[in-house]
Amino acid sequence: MLKYTLRRILGMIPMLLLISIVVFSLALSMPGDPFGGEIDPNNTDPQYIEEMREKAGLNDPVHVQYGRWISNFMQGDFGESTRYKMPVAELIGERMPNTLFLGITSLVITYILAFVMGMYAGRKPYTTADNLIGGVNYLGLAVPSYIAGVFAIYFFSFKLGWFPFSGSVDITLQNGSFEYYLSRLHHVFLPAIVLGALGTASYTQFLRNDIIESSRKDYVRTARAKGTPETKIYNKHILRNSIIPLITFLGFDIVTLISGAIITEAIFTYPGIGQLFLDSINNRDYPVMMTLTMMFSFLVLFGNMIADLLYGIVDPRIRVD
Amino acid sequence: MAEVINDTSITKIKVQKSLSPWAVARRKFLRNKLAMVSLFFLMTVSILSFLAPYITTADITRVNIGSMSLTPSSEHWFGTDKSGRDVFTRLLYGGRVSLLVGISCTLLIITFGTLIGALAGFFGGIVDALLMRFTDFILNFPLLVFVIVLNAVFFGKLGGVPVLIAVISVLGWGGVARLVRSKILSEKENEYILAAISIGSRPAKVIMKHLLPNVLSTIIVQATLTFAAMIVVESGLSYLGFGVPAETPSWGNMLAASREPDVLQNMPWIWIPPALTLVITILSINFIGEGIKDALNPKSLR
Repeated sequence: MLKYTLRRILGMIPMLLLISIVVFSLALSMPGDPFGGEIDPNNTDPQYIEEMREKAGLNDPVHVQYGRWISNFMQGDFGESTRYKMPVAELIGERMPNTLFLGITSLVITYILAFVMGMYAGRKPYTTADNLIGGVNYLGLAVPSYIAGVFAIYFFSFKLGWFPFSGSVDITLQNGSFEYYLSRLHHVFLPAIVLGALGTASYTQFLRNDIIESSRKDYVRTARAKGTPETKIYNKHILRNSIIPLITFLGFDIVTLISGAIITEAIFTYPGIGQLFLDSINNRDYPVMMTLTMMFSFLVLFGNMIADLLYGIVDPRIRVD
Repeated sequence: MAEVINDTSITKIKVQKSLSPWAVARRKFLRNKLAMVSLFFLMTVSILSFLAPYITTADITRVNIGSMSLTPSSEHWFGTDKSGRDVFTRLLYGGRVSLLVGISCTLLIITFGTLIGALAGFFGGIVDALLMRFTDFILNFPLLVFVIVLNAVFFGKLGGVPVLIAVISVLGWGGVARLVRSKILSEKENEYILAAISIGSRPAKVIMKHLLPNVLSTIIVQATLTFAAMIVVESGLSYLGFGVPAETPSWGNMLAASREPDVLQNMPWIWIPPALTLVITILSINFIGEGIKDALNPKSLR
């Protein structure tokens, strides 16, 4: 397992380098100077601009610029945001907790919904309730998050007034108080429901099918023959076996949450990483944009690796190849 | 429709003879009510959208200050938006763009993915290793993020629908390539492929004549799913403001109006029509896909 893990991690490095080259070339081909953040835009004196360009190293050959950028990047120096005039790392650190909070809440919602629905449908397959759950899941899989989000805001925020439709916290509240955390939870609930409920389908269907399959196995028949109560068979014997393959979904969830976060944060104007990314594109804030693009790509790579490693744990045969 | 009915009557007469696999599939598909209703809906939407200039006379580009934000009436079926443009007309024109982007991306993705997957699967060895590393590389780019970044790169220089289609397609073919490769890998182990190669058929002929027809059913099903996914991608990007240029109506662009809280709260007639049309269209395509999958699967009972 250790050898397999190491091989996978080492395999990531060339991929990351390639991606960094792509991101760097994209930034170079964008309108304006990608690294000219320090140049004062109000000073239009050509000599001043030329001096600053020279100082910022924008006249160096491309590979030198790339080398400088990537070596700074590796040391955690992501440059300075041209819009917020603060280090990118700080800016991301400020927004990150919001996105993490949204992601984790939505994962919890996904798990709760999927477990309740999947276990019920698996225990009573081919009944009306099972078909209903299947139908709801199908809808959840087909309906895009932005449409679900728009309808959720319309009904729950505007018509019923249950949830706020934007922001991450009530700004009048003091940081750290109990109401503050309650308000955060209140703000995150609707986006998390939208993000979480739409991800439920694959979990539910997998759990359902796995429970149905397991319930025909010998060990279940043995348990029944011993007179074990039906509830215990399903909740203990079968569930334990059906949960294990589910953990492999976790890696892919990281990938889904990234694209989910960008769209959901935009719908609910929730100040997280996704929102920051869209802002940085709109404002041509290149250091922020490049760092976030690299971060998203890294997370996708990381998520896929986690998924592979978890597969390796669940099914040892995969490790061999 | 007349032709379709005709078809079933013909196949019914031939029942005694034993049907070709395609005829069996067609019969199964025609009996699938959900898929047929979906197909009917999708065809209606497509025809209405592509005939939009002949159906409606309202001007979609002109801003009409006299008729801003009107509620639905007999004159404007779905009301008008904040610039006084008729929502129904825009819905039809929007369908043209959304469906066009969806179909073009699907065609490009399926063609390219099948090509790469077939080559990698058939030749194996170094070709396979190189092509699949390249596919992995493409698959590692988060689609949404990079389409947005690429759109920013092309901003002002090359804009518009063709660039969007190209960008989505370039980043989207990885999954299809992997699927086709795995199908080809298992299919090429069959004796008839060995026979075809041993009588001296060239690789191109083996792939085109023998392998592809046998993985076609998978590709067709994948194409319908891709079609639905691409409509979701297009309207999602347009909703965020990084898709189809704002002045061109598309379902996503129309939905983007709901990002203004005022429109979202007080003028549901502006955003509900595109939202519902999108949902029903996506569902229909998925149902059709499921129907085709079911019909092409010889093991399914229906």
